[in-house]
Amino acid sequence: MSVVTAAKKIWEAALFAEIWSAMKVTFKHMLHKPITFQYPREQRTIPDAHRGALGLLRYDDGKERCVGCDLCEVACPSHCIKVISAEDKSLPLQRYASEFYIDITKCVFCGYCVEACPVNALAMTKMYEFSTHDKRTLLFDKQRLYEIGEKHLEDAKKYLYAHGQEKNDQMYHDYRYFFPQSVKQSTQPPPKHLT
Amino acid sequence: MNDTEKTYRFEDQRDTIYKVNPEHPETATLPLQRTEELLLNMGPQHPSTHGVLKVILELEGERLVKSTPVLGFLHRGVEKLAEDGTYHQFIPHTDRLDYVCAMYNNFAYCRAVEKLMNITVPERAEYLRTIVAEVQRIIGHQFWLGTQALDIGAMTVFFYTFRDREILLDWFDELCGARLTTSWYRIGGVERDLTPSLISKLRAFLDYFPSKIDEYQVFLEKNRIWVARTKGVAVISAEDALSFGLSGPTLRGSGVDYDMRKHNGGYAAYPHCDFNVPVGKNGDTYDRYWIRVMELYESVKIIKQCLDQMQDGPIMADVPSVTLPPKDRVFTNLDSMIQQFKLFSQGFDAPPGEIYCGTEAHKGELGFYIVSTGGGKPYRMKIRSPSFIHMGAFDHMSRGYMIADAVTIFGTYDIVMGECDR
Amino acid sequence: MGLKPATNPDVEAASIELTIDGRTVTAKDGVSLYDVISSTGKIIPAMCYHYTFDPFGSCGMCLVMQEGKKSPVRSCTAKAAAGMIVRTEGDDLFQARKKAVEKHLSVHPLDCPVCDADGHCELQDMAFQHQVTTLANAKQKLIPEDTRSLVLDFNMNRCIACGECINICKDVQMIDALQFIKKGGFTQVVAKGDTQLACEFCGDCLAVCPVGAITNKFSKYLYKPWQLKKTTTTCNYCGDGCQMQVETKDNEVVRVTSPLSWKNKWGDRSETAQGHGGLCVRGRFGFQFIDSKARLVQPLIRKGAKLAESPWIETIETVVGRLADIKAKYGSSAVAGLITARCSNEELYLFQKLMRAAIGTNQLDSSARYGHLNFVHAVQHALGVGRMTNDSADITKAKAILVVGSNVTETNPVFSLRVKEAIRVYKSQVIVVDSANTNLAKLASHPVLVKPGTEGLFVKGLIKSVIEQDLIDTEVTGKHAQALAALKQAVAGLSLDTVVSATGVSEDQINEAATVFAEAPRSVIICGEGIVRRPNGYQHVLALIDLLWVTGKLGKPGCGINTVTEEANEQGAVDMGTSPEFLPGQVAFDNDDARTKFSKAWSTPLPNKGTGVGFMDILKKCRNGEIKALYLVGENPLGTLPASAEVKAALEKLELLIVQDPFMTETAQIAHVVLPACTFAEKDGTMTSQDGKVQRIRQTMDPIGESLPDWQILSAVGSGLGCVSMEYESSHDIQREIMKVLPGYYNLGQPKKVTVNPDRYLANGYQAGVAARYRAEQKAADGGKRFSLTMGQLLYHSGKLSTQASGLLLIASSTGQLHMNQQDMERVGLKDGDRVRVSSAKGSAVLSAKADLSVLPDSCFYPEHFNNPPVKDLMAVEVDAVTGVPYFKQAAVSVEKA
Repeated sequence: MSVVTAAKKIWEAALFAEIWSAMKVTFKHMLHKPITFQYPREQRTIPDAHRGALGLLRYDDGKERCVGCDLCEVACPSHCIKVISAEDKSLPLQRYASEFYIDITKCVFCGYCVEACPVNALAMTKMYEFSTHDKRTLLFDKQRLYEIGEKHLEDAKKYLYAHGQEKNDQMYHDYRYFFPQSVKQSTQPPPKHLT
Repeated sequence: MNDTEKTYRFEDQRDTIYKVNPEHPETATLPLQRTEELLLNMGPQHPSTHGVLKVILELEGERLVKSTPVLGFLHRGVEKLAEDGTYHQFIPHTDRLDYVCAMYNNFAYCRAVEKLMNITVPERAEYLRTIVAEVQRIIGHQFWLGTQALDIGAMTVFFYTFRDREILLDWFDELCGARLTTSWYRIGGVERDLTPSLISKLRAFLDYFPSKIDEYQVFLEKNRIWVARTKGVAVISAEDALSFGLSGPTLRGSGVDYDMRKHNGGYAAYPHCDFNVPVGKNGDTYDRYWIRVMELYESVKIIKQCLDQMQDGPIMADVPSVTLPPKDRVFTNLDSMIQQFKLFSQGFDAPPGEIYCGTEAHKGELGFYIVSTGGGKPYRMKIRSPSFIHMGAFDHMSRGYMIADAVTIFGTYDIVMGECDR
Repeated sequence: MGLKPATNPDVEAASIELTIDGRTVTAKDGVSLYDVISSTGKIIPAMCYHYTFDPFGSCGMCLVMQEGKKSPVRSCTAKAAAGMIVRTEGDDLFQARKKAVEKHLSVHPLDCPVCDADGHCELQDMAFQHQVTTLANAKQKLIPEDTRSLVLDFNMNRCIACGECINICKDVQMIDALQFIKKGGFTQVVAKGDTQLACEFCGDCLAVCPVGAITNKFSKYLYKPWQLKKTTTTCNYCGDGCQMQVETKDNEVVRVTSPLSWKNKWGDRSETAQGHGGLCVRGRFGFQFIDSKARLVQPLIRKGAKLAESPWIETIETVVGRLADIKAKYGSSAVAGLITARCSNEELYLFQKLMRAAIGTNQLDSSARYGHLNFVHAVQHALGVGRMTNDSADITKAKAILVVGSNVTETNPVFSLRVKEAIRVYKSQVIVVDSANTNLAKLASHPVLVKPGTEGLFVKGLIKSVIEQDLIDTEVTGKHAQALAALKQAVAGLSLDTVVSATGVSEDQINEAATVFAEAPRSVIICGEGIVRRPNGYQHVLALIDLLWVTGKLGKPGCGINTVTEEANEQGAVDMGTSPEFLPGQVAFDNDDARTKFSKAWSTPLPNKGTGVGFMDILKKCRNGEIKALYLVGENPLGTLPASAEVKAALEKLELLIVQDPFMTETAQIAHVVLPACTFAEKDGTMTSQDGKVQRIRQTMDPIGESLPDWQILSAVGSGLGCVSMEYESSHDIQREIMKVLPGYYNLGQPKKVTVNPDRYLANGYQAGVAARYRAEQKAADGGKRFSLTMGQLLYHSGKLSTQASGLLLIASSTGQLHMNQQDMERVGLKDGDRVRVSSAKGSAVLSAKADLSVLPDSCFYPEHFNNPPVKDLMAVEVDAVTGVPYFKQAAVSVEKA
């Protein structure tokens, strides 16, 4: 160690130089625009891919997409989904989910159910504010899930597009109306996507 | 002092201290001075025990004579949960191991399963994995730096590291939809590709970030309190560090040049990148701090190189018996639909056998040991978590230091109890 | 492996050698190549193969390369030949098999999300295993779903035409209810004649269907296989002891599956001699009673005219307190108990312990008294064994089978498959003696139709014929010359002409039957309700044993006498000593050694010797006021016995009537205390099948409501009464106790073969009984009533329990109808569904009539499961002098249009 560096060290120690350099940084930030924001009044911009509350979707004509295949139930790592399927009384030979529950207190928002769904009936939305005073209301039933799906339909679609579950093109709008189908009469025309 | 001696002394003292005449208990006198060790419970509610850690400190005055970590307050049976679900279903559970750095846990787990299934990941996916893993390393080191400084008493750094960490967490949100519980890695690739917006945001961050590392340094590097409380504290020799099984910066701080990213040819895209592994000399807390800060610079370097080198290509391996089919085929083709249903309801059929695969997480070597007896679920899974291994050296490293250093010492491992207790 | 046995089990097929994948393999000549390959442990995929029937060869998956052939051959239909060199693995074969799967997939609809078989589907497995990924859009067949059948839906879009359903129906069940039909350009499976499916609804086709083409109507769309919890347990309906898997979701039974399924298609054909693993309609589709709405969910105590709900603790206190009061006031002989033989062994044991140790009375009985005890007493007395003497394999491989008075395809359908296999595979000759044209009679080589109630007489005719034709085995009978002389003397009074005129069978037929039975190397007898539940049942079983003895079959391997039971655990009820004459282990109650042993084990003295009374006497004693308290576990005498038995009067006289039952039975309605019990699906334990297999029943779900397993209630009552040794933590504790007192009873479904020893019987006391046995029977005066009304079981029902199963009611509804012969109906001037008045000496009932081809002229049939109208009240009750068995299933009636 040369004499000069040693002298500099002593000088810096005596003047508490490191404090001054640190204070310089701190003071610089006094002029900075605040990086925090006032949360309930200001909202974050949520990206399209965001994994928020789950919603159930309908086709464009209002028909429920879900066929009650229970694949989301088995794909769920936290076992928070419960599907009760049955035969649709109004449309004989059609399977549908008569009840659909998601225990959102157990949900880990991994998005596996959306990935699993063979009809893209489930999608995640940007909704994340569902705190409540009553924990029981966090067991989302079928009606609630469809409400979420309706209210956040645009977000839900964006989620599906962002995660590559669906593309925004005509083909996706067409064939889903015929899938999966049950055959009632022998003269029934074949599904559109197969002709 | 060995244990028998201590016990003897203890008994001896009881005799002398509590000499009570049972007939006249009021005549009992308390001794003026007690010279035994004091047992002190630190945690689990202590603010700097990183969640729920309890340490029983044996004190001789203010010096630590012995410290016994009591683990398990955050035990959730993750290893057992793994036996319950398919391999694919376990990925979200790995998020919750080291909940600060979920991506790296995903990465380590997926690598282990890929090794079991003998899957080669496409090149673009390897680059993506490397980029995100290094972003996660930056987040991890930032988090460590902020909280370690906070534990020692320097509050300002915490704000600056968390400010920058926030940018990356939002980046994660845009990438995979969650800030912390990411579940972005998949067995055989990754879930989603980087969008142009994500790439430009990341590049902007990389340009901005090195100056910020300098900024953190200003607060700590020469800060004499910081130096006093880290230099020469919790020293562990290279030999001891190796025999305790330490890894990552904790090991490199003692001068052992061991990094899984370089070792044995590396993994993912690391072999294609040019980067240094900083190694310390003294094996004290300050060296470990220095290594972590240097690694921030290195990570920036790695990410930049990866972004430049990355070519277009698939992001998932095409192994029909393991990886999911593309969703649009599921709607129209029976074979893909069958694949979808089989993989989700039963999982893929793993060959019987056992594998271990370690990955260099920012804390150290995160390893997954999987025993498979065939079928869609692991028979047994053991997680070698660096936090847990490092806690084993806690007693060794803390002996002789002051009680106030205890916080510094378990901070120096970058311990996260979610991973430690599993 | 599925090596087909030669038709004659005694002749071994020649050995051949062939090379498979470079290994030399020895095999039997004439078997399929597939079986030889699978016998080496190698599994080649095959979707149309099942070891229970002959190879069909439609799926094209079991391809192998045979040296000398250019293209792969189907190994299932290829016969193994000496010197063959076969390769089973290789990329070319993998690709060929993949092509075969693709062929099936290309016409399969995108149905996985809605298909019930998804996750349990061989086509899925094969597609996944062969990594099919480049399939073009699937062409759909667009065949409408066939929902005409009552229990099964046929979705032929999913069918891969493997033919397993048709083959199992034809080969194993011998029903042949399904067929292929070419319709709309596709091969489809339809019910015979493309009509509504009319069969036994055993559901084996459903079990073997590798895809979702045949689905269960009762659980359609309600589940996916991964949601279900599977519990293997034992069926509770009949005494066959079939293993079944109850699949539950939450606390609901969704479906019942059998061990038989396409999943375990690899087996040795000779294994089917022990059973093919399938179920019958009751087991598979009759599960709804378990979680029925009609289940009792809360203990009830009578408050005035009403039964009021009451908590368990209070109810048990009431039961214990009142039992103790009655015991203190009138002595322990004022208490009696009856238990159903649907309870587990542990519960039956506990019940008799409660009666004998805690209360101190020997007045107890079980529903084995309705007939099975006739058989047990007879074989105990004559042969020294307490159950049927053959196992399933013996029956399958018998050369001659005499089925007497047993409509076995209806009462014990799975057991009847052994007889069917004997006919089909081993070409055995079957003599079916019955008063109805049963399904088995249609398959049998020697169907013998006798007049109702003369089955016993026909058996005597057989013995007479054996003696007259000199078919006697002199070697065997020579050892007991005295006994033979006595038998000859007794039979001398009987002339074949009387037999011919009474039974309506020609002499030639009798002689031929006797010849067939006597000359076959292995002959077995199966006797059922038509003989053991009819007057003189005990004597008739002894006559059958005489037949075995004189033809030299007694004690010969593969020969013997067997019975079938109606309730699941009748054999267990006898073994566990729930009858006044037996202690556990079928030891006589008066046996001093056993009494010491049990009084020591229970640390209490047993009731005095000779104090026990059986079922009918208990009711009599109730009626005359000697019995004040009656404890009924699952028994419903009011719903079972005819009005002439005066059950109601007896029960109304009681001070305390406790009914413990899962359902609100007729008897429970007049009870003082009703305890809700669990069904078999909610408890652990063991059951003993009719052939002595002790098999586990396992808890599949939590008890419904507040109901409790019977053993828990019995244990609570017993320990409440101060019997300390009746405190049990679980049914395993009871098992442990039974293991101590009856070592070796738990045989894990592998009973020891019994060895019969008739020497003692033939040497002493045989002569005394034999004379009476062959005395001409007094024919009851029919009082001008020309029809003979028989009450019996239907295939679709078992006892009263099955009437709580909505699935079975759908198949055979509760509108009880009188089954009549078509000619009779024309004679009386009736059409299907017309109301008729049936009158007997005891009363009359009005009900609708229906034509039934199996009913003979001058007889009519009514299913005993239904009490609406109460046809049982037309019956008179006759009680067996030796065994105390009540007979009330047959009466002479007149039928006229109402």
